[in-house]
Amino acid sequence: MRGARTLGRLAPFVALAIIAIVPLLVTDRFLLKIFTFAGINALVVTGLALLFGYAGQVSLGHAAFVGLGAYTCAFCTVRLEWPWLLAFIASGALAAVGGLLLALPSLRLKGHYLAMATLGFGLLMTLAFVEAEPITGGVDGFGGIPFPTLGPIEIREASSLYWLVWAIVGIALVAAFNVTSLRPGRAMRALHGSELGAQACGVDVVGVKVRAFVVSALLAGLAGALYASVVGFVSPSIFTLTASIAFLAMAVVGGTRSLSGPLAAAVLLTLVQYLDALIPGIPRETAQTLQSYQEDIYGLAIVLVVVLAPGGLASMWRRQTRGSHAS
Amino acid sequence: MTMLQVRNVTKRFGGLTAVDDVSFDVFQGTIKALIGPNGAGKSTLFNALTGFDKPDHGSVLFEGAELIGRRPRDTVQAGVARTFQNTQLFEEMTAGGNVMVGSQAHQRRGFATAMLRLPAAIDEDHDAREQAGRLLRLIGIEEWIDTPASDLPAGIRRLVEIARALATGPRLLLLDEPAAGLNTTETHELVQTLFRVRDTGITVVIVEHDMGLVMDVSDEIIVLDRGRKIAEGPPRMIQKDRAVIAAYLGEETDEDA
Repeated sequence: MRGARTLGRLAPFVALAIIAIVPLLVTDRFLLKIFTFAGINALVVTGLALLFGYAGQVSLGHAAFVGLGAYTCAFCTVRLEWPWLLAFIASGALAAVGGLLLALPSLRLKGHYLAMATLGFGLLMTLAFVEAEPITGGVDGFGGIPFPTLGPIEIREASSLYWLVWAIVGIALVAAFNVTSLRPGRAMRALHGSELGAQACGVDVVGVKVRAFVVSALLAGLAGALYASVVGFVSPSIFTLTASIAFLAMAVVGGTRSLSGPLAAAVLLTLVQYLDALIPGIPRETAQTLQSYQEDIYGLAIVLVVVLAPGGLASMWRRQTRGSHAS
Repeated sequence: MTMLQVRNVTKRFGGLTAVDDVSFDVFQGTIKALIGPNGAGKSTLFNALTGFDKPDHGSVLFEGAELIGRRPRDTVQAGVARTFQNTQLFEEMTAGGNVMVGSQAHQRRGFATAMLRLPAAIDEDHDAREQAGRLLRLIGIEEWIDTPASDLPAGIRRLVEIARALATGPRLLLLDEPAAGLNTTETHELVQTLFRVRDTGITVVIVEHDMGLVMDVSDEIIVLDRGRKIAEGPPRMIQKDRAVIAAYLGEETDEDA
């Protein structure tokens, strides 16, 4: 049991080691970009894993935080001509403030009502991205966003962008792992398990909820900044309810009380969108059909997981390790 | 020494007065039982004492400090811990993990320290783990430490909740029906456990229906009926009290006649 658990704990790091060597094996720039998007989604989903998987708080508005980060990065680098790193940090910070605001209703609302509040927040933000034209460029979007720079180094190669994104994912995962394995993670799980019980233990229930929202929003904001810098263009159509549901689907499929499950789900469900590029033989029409049914696939994934495997990938993995130990 | 002073506590739910002008004292180092028929207001009173509910009227002084108006978290940090009639364990966590959450009442390390895995956070975690083991041994259920709460038998669940409450480092422990669902052997073990807890210097208030257990452990008993205190005193006295017998058996008393 202990060996299996250690293995389970190490899994994310093994996965990251594999992820790190991808650019050495894959030279196709488009493919690398897909894997880079997988990393950006993984960053968002890591935050959601903390918020949803550990603290048990649902969010149907996370794309709004990604958008907030993306637009902040665009505005700061293009209009304000800030150094990229500063804009990147500002993106995370502003999204975190948004998370703080969204945390406020979460203190009074639970379950479906919280889901509705986050849904409303997401829709409102999408509207704001369209309407705040002087800042966001409105429906036409915001273009000409520069590549990331670290001091004098401009990161523009597909492989360097890939590594930058996944390095940040790696840092986020290590930090998230530390949080979940120590006191704050235990408080989050307690809150998820029984709010009354958590209160009786002196857990700062309000503080835990607020922190979970803020940290997950921060990671989403950083992911948004990375997206803006990698693609060079952002528009409101990217940060919609559909995207929020996609993120939640990744977190749900990945499973609760896990970081590796959501990581795997984020990568897999991102790759599903680009099957035509990944599998050379696949007929174009099949790929297009799959793409047009993307939302349905996510919806179906959520339903299947909730009905058939409530714990998601993570619990299947846990059951496997437990079973193998018993034999 | 008086540890807890409950004065004129009243709690109404709509037209129903669940707790009606109840006053009593709890002395340090004693076990006091709170008994009464279903709906007598015992759990409501517990909720009022621990910040889970705010009474409409009255005062609760713990070691001289007012408890009314505090949040549950502040009550715990002041040194008053509780368990629930319906156990509120964290099902996905192990028995040991549950008890470790109890330690959070007096832990200080936050998000940032944990995120960076600073030694302070690791030490604190280590201490909580050791304390969990120590408390589960005190309660006599250390063999369940790695079992998920959802897999624990009912009797063990109640004991884990007591261990978890102890992990908060209380000076006053409030137990809401700890013997519910226990068999005779388990109840007997619970009695021993309660004495061990009291002997560590912790004052105990217990709501319980098992009269055998109540008579065995308590130094003093308070009887509630329909929100009112109808009797208070040592077990021998309560056993003979006519109002108490009437409340339990539903007989008319001289008073009522």
